[in-house]
Amino acid sequence: MELPLESLTAFRPRTGTPDQWNAAFVRVEDYLRAHRVHNRLQQSQILHRVLSRAAAQHEKEPHLDPTTLAAEEIDRMMDEWFGELLGDKNLPHERIAIEGRIALQMCDGVTRWPYAFLDMENIPAEFAHDMKRRSVQAGPDMTVTSMVPREIELGTLTEVAGQTFEQIEKWPILRVSLLWAVFLAVLAAVFYTTR
Amino acid sequence: MKRYFAVEQLDKKRVSRRRATFFTLVFLLTTIAVWFMADLLWKGPVSAVGVVVLVLFTILFAHIAMGFCTAMLGLYVINRGDTARISRSIEGESLEELPLGSTAIVMPVFNEDSSRIFEALRVIYRSLEKTGRLVDFDFFILSDTNDPNKWIQEEIAWYELCRQLNGFGRIFYRKRRISINKKSGNVGDFLRRWGQSYRYMVVLDADSVMTGEAIVKMVAMMERNLGVGILQSAPRIVNGVTLYSRLQQFSNRLYSPLFLAGLNYWHQGESNFWGHNAVIRVAPFMEHCALPELPGVEPFGGRILSHDFVEAALIRKAGWQVWLAYDLEGSFEEGPPTLIDSAKRDRRWCQGNMQHSWLLFARGFHPINRFHLLQGIMGYLASPLWLLFMLISTMHRFSEAMHPVPSEFAAQNYTMIFDYAVPLPEALALFGFTMVLLFSPKLISLLLELKNRRAVAYGGPVRLCLSVFLEMVASALLAPINMIFHAKFVVYILLGQGVSWVTQQRAASEESDWREAIITHSGQMAFGLIWGTSAYILVPSFFWWLLPVLLGLVLSAPLSIFLAKANYGRRARELGLFLTPDETEPAPVLPLLEKHLEECYRHMQPIRELRQDYGLMQAVLDPYVNAVHVSLLRQRRPGSHSVRKYFIELRRRLLADGPQSLSQREKMALLLDPESMNWLHEQLWKKPPDLLSEWWRLAMRQYNVLTSTPVTALYR
Repeated sequence: MELPLESLTAFRPRTGTPDQWNAAFVRVEDYLRAHRVHNRLQQSQILHRVLSRAAAQHEKEPHLDPTTLAAEEIDRMMDEWFGELLGDKNLPHERIAIEGRIALQMCDGVTRWPYAFLDMENIPAEFAHDMKRRSVQAGPDMTVTSMVPREIELGTLTEVAGQTFEQIEKWPILRVSLLWAVFLAVLAAVFYTTR
Repeated sequence: MKRYFAVEQLDKKRVSRRRATFFTLVFLLTTIAVWFMADLLWKGPVSAVGVVVLVLFTILFAHIAMGFCTAMLGLYVINRGDTARISRSIEGESLEELPLGSTAIVMPVFNEDSSRIFEALRVIYRSLEKTGRLVDFDFFILSDTNDPNKWIQEEIAWYELCRQLNGFGRIFYRKRRISINKKSGNVGDFLRRWGQSYRYMVVLDADSVMTGEAIVKMVAMMERNLGVGILQSAPRIVNGVTLYSRLQQFSNRLYSPLFLAGLNYWHQGESNFWGHNAVIRVAPFMEHCALPELPGVEPFGGRILSHDFVEAALIRKAGWQVWLAYDLEGSFEEGPPTLIDSAKRDRRWCQGNMQHSWLLFARGFHPINRFHLLQGIMGYLASPLWLLFMLISTMHRFSEAMHPVPSEFAAQNYTMIFDYAVPLPEALALFGFTMVLLFSPKLISLLLELKNRRAVAYGGPVRLCLSVFLEMVASALLAPINMIFHAKFVVYILLGQGVSWVTQQRAASEESDWREAIITHSGQMAFGLIWGTSAYILVPSFFWWLLPVLLGLVLSAPLSIFLAKANYGRRARELGLFLTPDETEPAPVLPLLEKHLEECYRHMQPIRELRQDYGLMQAVLDPYVNAVHVSLLRQRRPGSHSVRKYFIELRRRLLADGPQSLSQREKMALLLDPESMNWLHEQLWKKPPDLLSEWWRLAMRQYNVLTSTPVTALYR
């Protein structure tokens, strides 16, 4: 097997500027770290594969940014890898990406099988088995039923008071005026009786 | 076949006798006090002010007498032993033998600290696992969180907890898109979806903790007592850090057993529901306890805010009993850390309880339920009445001082008992009588613990006595402050000013917020100063009577700050003050929770620039968090052209200008849209750096650089 650092040293894209490829390199590195791939050796192997494929693509589509192409390449590689692991290669990209990432996280694949990440040829049997448990269940099966509020009979006095208040609430100025009038009346009564 | 005790076997006449005893005692004590007061007031001619004062005094004294009588009856049954208690139905049986039914443990949450929520669930889960009865229980976190960061934290924490406990398929998470009817709506939504699958529901608050044993026992009590609709436990306040919360937990732990035993004495099958740490029989609850709206609009009408009392009344109306498992160990909750936080919570509760006025005369309610509703109202209404009583008394006293009425037996010199003049100032006698009613339950609780040689669990006899003394001083100083708070809340509610449903501050802080304290308490301080100064100038002798009330008011801001300090609370604990048996001999779940939380909080914080939108950042940037988040969202049909255009614009702004360019509502809209979340994740990683905002470039470079796992509550 070729040494990874040598392989990266041998990386010579024929199109694009060094700055563009440097940005693409940083992006793929960040993306791998976001997936908890912290092993530098493994990172550089994957980086080489991704950037080589992106460079080849850039020769065909030089108007596209190498960062975009590199991100698309690693997405494509992950879709293929997840398809292989989950045994379902025909799922649309959105679904395979979501289900694959959840399965990978649930089985703690990156930590338990650090060299298996994006390796199509050497897939440990236990890893492949654990990846099949790919869904999270946020709630059990629903048994939908109704829960309808019943009217509470408030009693005659309260009903009359309720209707009166509802009428008063239709005129907010009147309501506030009434409340203040009551408040002032209480103050006046206290003053009158105690002066 | 073994015959088990069930509460249905209790003699109804015995229950009636208990209630008759309680209300007769209240009546007798109130009559004596009113007689003293009337005698005191009417040394001279009968005045209108005197009548008002006497009416107010009667209402308020009856309220005090109820507390005293409850405590005394509690003392009676504690000494004698009570056979009329629901825990008898499972007495002497091992946990493995107890009958259980399918039970959902639900925890409604709203913008809470996710570490606290999920670490509490972890210890409850583990504790249930140890009982060997986990198989009968499912857990539901019912989220109404509308803070994007906290929502994502909850999702990650739930996912991690499930992974760590292998709890997928047993621990569930549900986030409502639209939060209708707050907590009761949240629980109602759960019941409509999954209620039929469960016989029981244990309702927890976001700050609740229960031992597995307590949960198993409560469900078993429900299984044994098929006529019980709600079984409420008596949660103890724990985990207090500040002086304020330590005072609350100390008084709760020391004094509450007396009151709880007394409550059970006269409540029996018509007890109350306090909203959490309770077991509910799902089928009758769903049939009878869906809450209608009250007449009018908020704050007085509209949605019922304090749903628990009403639910207890409704389920009782339908023929189901409500019991208090007052002697059950292992049920805990936390209290607010500061006086101001306590006031904020009280404001919500005040509005909820005042709404209950509508229901006092509702048809079909049991009289005891009406009484619970009335007591809830009086819990807040008593404050403006006390204030009014004291103000009128002050004015009356001023008026007397300016126009003295000559009397052979001046009130300040003699107490009249029947026809005998006892040379003791009558006002002092009445004051002493009131103090006895207020403080004797506390002193009796203290004596009980000393007698039962339990003082060591409170730090020893000396520290226990000192703690009780300091607690009584503090409660005397806090009482007038709470009186003003509550009076203000009641007036505001009557004037039509509602309250918003704010998240409760549960954590203690090291910082003093003098600004908030001064803004909150300045009115109280000014009121106390004016009241005290005028009393001192006009009637100096009356000033000394008012002094205990005035002191609390004048010192309210510094007192509030002093009690809110976490380091003073810790120092008190080191000195052995306000210690409780839940600290010295804790249930295993409590130290475990504390340990887990310490580990969580020790974890590295996100860098400052990213902290404010860290949840949103993770949901977009982190491949795993994004996948979990999207998989939890309900797929939506493609929206109309304008809706799609709206989302496209939001996505563009988020990536190009950063999250600070979006409002909280816009961030929530994006987070709720699976298509947008997929798109954002892909595009963030595909776009060249110059098309992304500086914020995103920093986030991508910083993410997972220093830690191998993302910074979340649950990674430990």
